[in-house]
Amino acid sequence: MTISYLLKRLGFFVLVIWIASTIIFLLPRLPERNPVAERMLETAARGGGVVVGLDEMMAAWNEKFGLDQPMWRQYLNFYKDLLHLDLGYSLAVFPTRVSAMLVRAIPWSIGLLVVSTLIAFTLGSLGGALLAWPKAPRFVKYFMPLLLCLSAIPFYLMAIALLALFAFTLGIFPLGGGHAGGVVSSLSLPFILDVLRHATLPALALVLSGVGWWALSMRGMMVIGLKEDYITFGEAKGLRGKRVFFRYALRNVLLPQVTSLALSLGLLLSGSVLVEVVFNYPGLGTLFYTAIKSFDYTVINGVALLSILGVATATLAVDLLYPLLDPRITSQRRMK
Amino acid sequence: MIGESYHYNEDFTELTIKIRPGVEWSDGVAFTARDIAFTLHMLRDNAPFLRWSADIEAWVKEAQVIDDLTVKIILNEPNPRFMAHYLMDGFVKALWIVPEHIWKDQDPVSFTNLDIAGGWPVGTGPYRLAQVTDTEFIYDLREDWWASEIGFKPLPRVERIIYRLAADETMLAMAIIKNEVDMTGDLPPALMMEVLEKNPKVSTFSYHEPPFGYIDWWPTYMGFNILEPPFDSAEMRWAISYAINPDDIEVYALEGYGKTSKVIFPEYPPLMEYYYDIADLLEEYPIGEFNLEKSADIMLGQGYVKDGEGFWVDPDGERISFVIASHLIFREIPAVVVANLRDAGFDAAFHKPVGVWEMFATGEARIYITGHAGSLRDPWGSLDLFHSRFVLPTGTLATSFYRWANPEFDRIVDEMAGVGFGDPRVFDLHRQAMEIWLPELPCIPLANWYHRNPINHTYWTGFPNVDDPYTNDAFWHKQALMPMLWRLEPAK
Repeated sequence: MTISYLLKRLGFFVLVIWIASTIIFLLPRLPERNPVAERMLETAARGGGVVVGLDEMMAAWNEKFGLDQPMWRQYLNFYKDLLHLDLGYSLAVFPTRVSAMLVRAIPWSIGLLVVSTLIAFTLGSLGGALLAWPKAPRFVKYFMPLLLCLSAIPFYLMAIALLALFAFTLGIFPLGGGHAGGVVSSLSLPFILDVLRHATLPALALVLSGVGWWALSMRGMMVIGLKEDYITFGEAKGLRGKRVFFRYALRNVLLPQVTSLALSLGLLLSGSVLVEVVFNYPGLGTLFYTAIKSFDYTVINGVALLSILGVATATLAVDLLYPLLDPRITSQRRMK
Repeated sequence: MIGESYHYNEDFTELTIKIRPGVEWSDGVAFTARDIAFTLHMLRDNAPFLRWSADIEAWVKEAQVIDDLTVKIILNEPNPRFMAHYLMDGFVKALWIVPEHIWKDQDPVSFTNLDIAGGWPVGTGPYRLAQVTDTEFIYDLREDWWASEIGFKPLPRVERIIYRLAADETMLAMAIIKNEVDMTGDLPPALMMEVLEKNPKVSTFSYHEPPFGYIDWWPTYMGFNILEPPFDSAEMRWAISYAINPDDIEVYALEGYGKTSKVIFPEYPPLMEYYYDIADLLEEYPIGEFNLEKSADIMLGQGYVKDGEGFWVDPDGERISFVIASHLIFREIPAVVVANLRDAGFDAAFHKPVGVWEMFATGEARIYITGHAGSLRDPWGSLDLFHSRFVLPTGTLATSFYRWANPEFDRIVDEMAGVGFGDPRVFDLHRQAMEIWLPELPCIPLANWYHRNPINHTYWTGFPNVDDPYTNDAFWHKQALMPMLWRLEPAK
């Protein structure tokens, strides 16, 4: 890896974050609705009577949140705070800090989504590779197509179906939440087991919906990979089937799959919103959904920024690690 | 409960409150008159940042601590409703009294008041906050509650209260059917009937009978920005009123399980006495009458004619087109109203946009459907919503949305503000006010708002109902939860 390659990738990383965060800054503000006014007016209307001085209160809070500033100044303040890693206060639940809300939600999302994605990736990649392998066990030929059918179902519909069947009708799993109601969080074994029990259906929804995609893409690459000369050579040398499969075929076609995995981990948030909302799971997805409903600009910005950082960092990591993983890329560059 | 008694002076400019002896905060510090005085001064001095602070700044000159158990509040203007409005009435009104010994060293605007390990927040109730997450609050019973120790009230049998966030009504319904929760928030009639059918242990305030709940204090109405044409015309507003069919609203929007409304306040018995008192006025100005002929007569009398598609156009040939703004919570009411209006020749549509409350307040929504809350006991609260002091030009945020001004109406409402609850003069003043309000029709009452909260009797009994309405069952209302908790007994 050369210095110029590294600098180019870092520059691109910064550019992507800047453009994406600018879009995230502008989007909630495009309708020109004031979140402070919206919240206060709804509360006042439902609260009864007419709250005296509501207009002064709104003006004071607009000033406090900087919403009375011109858009360009709000933009500069946004970046100034960002450079200090200050995401500000939640507009809807002031004076809670956005960072505090993110810190509470992140472990739930990472725990659920990363694990589900890795399980789906592993099962799907292995299953897809075996589907293309002529000497695969027979059960794979029957089992994998079933999983592929399930993967055709959008993950949020899968989530609703699992909830209706296993939680509501059969009562095997809880209806939702991160843990049982009324349980004080701790690192005790019963609590951990309770969390795992609550995560089972959301994880299953993500795994069943995702495994087919990984399997199909892996199968496609495997079919092409099996035609390579080195596969024929390995078989001709009399190498055992398992060795040819794992060390020759799978290893070489895995790289693009790993790239996709890195990118999909970065895109976790977009997949998490609906699943977390269906299961009332206390992660970033639910936080994002609640923030959108309550017009909470600052929390929307915070969660979206996290997602942007995730995608950009994953892309950067893949860009930087690829030459190390694939010696062909480095040697080709050297040959030039 | 904390207050023992209160009284006003003759002209309602001074309010003296006596506190019950023995009241304590949950950290053991005595609750005294100093806490009430401190809270009022804190709100007054930090206006307009804190909720109700601008109100307190407007009304309260000062609060004097006479002794530990007596506080005298000196008002800037006579206000016989100050005690009820700010210190007694529940629902979602009334301000919280804070402990002086904790808040006096804090910036009230940014103080989070949350340190569970340290015992914050402190309160005077029988429960303490044990845990809070973004989706759940847990409150645990305090065995050392002052009221049980002095023999004033027993400890509730409920040892833990859990509030859980739910994504939507389907989750609420599933949770109560599976006995995972004891109570939930509102469900629409169709979903409520599913719940009642699937879990026989679940009932409502009205048991298993319609309306499956009770009337809330927040009726639904159609409002206008009366500064803007064509709704600056009382005739236009009446023409629209005659075009709305309350039967359609009851059948299609309220699913046959609700009641339309002809009054600007909730149909509570004390308030309905004022409604019945003006029966003669209501004959002349029949709110809620569906009459397409009368609607058409008014429009023709104003110079409108119908175009080739049957819609009203003005003398310049411009169609009377408008989009009714509303909120998701009003479900099908806007759709039904629009259908009625289109049948009557108004080119109407509706939308439920993000930021709709701001649209109501700025007057950008020239015609809208929403709710308003005001009166509980007498008509003043709802009538005050139409006072012209709230009228601001279109584009400016107004806290009451009607933008209707009538100086004589204002004078009557101001006079009513200085008259106490139950004073017979209120009847006469109400009549005078409605003699002005009715011909003008600044808003069109549409429907009562219902709270339909399913109640699960699997684990607990003693919930309120129509035969024993000791409180309402909206557990999030300030005055509702404690009376319920005192009455609940384990079912098994």
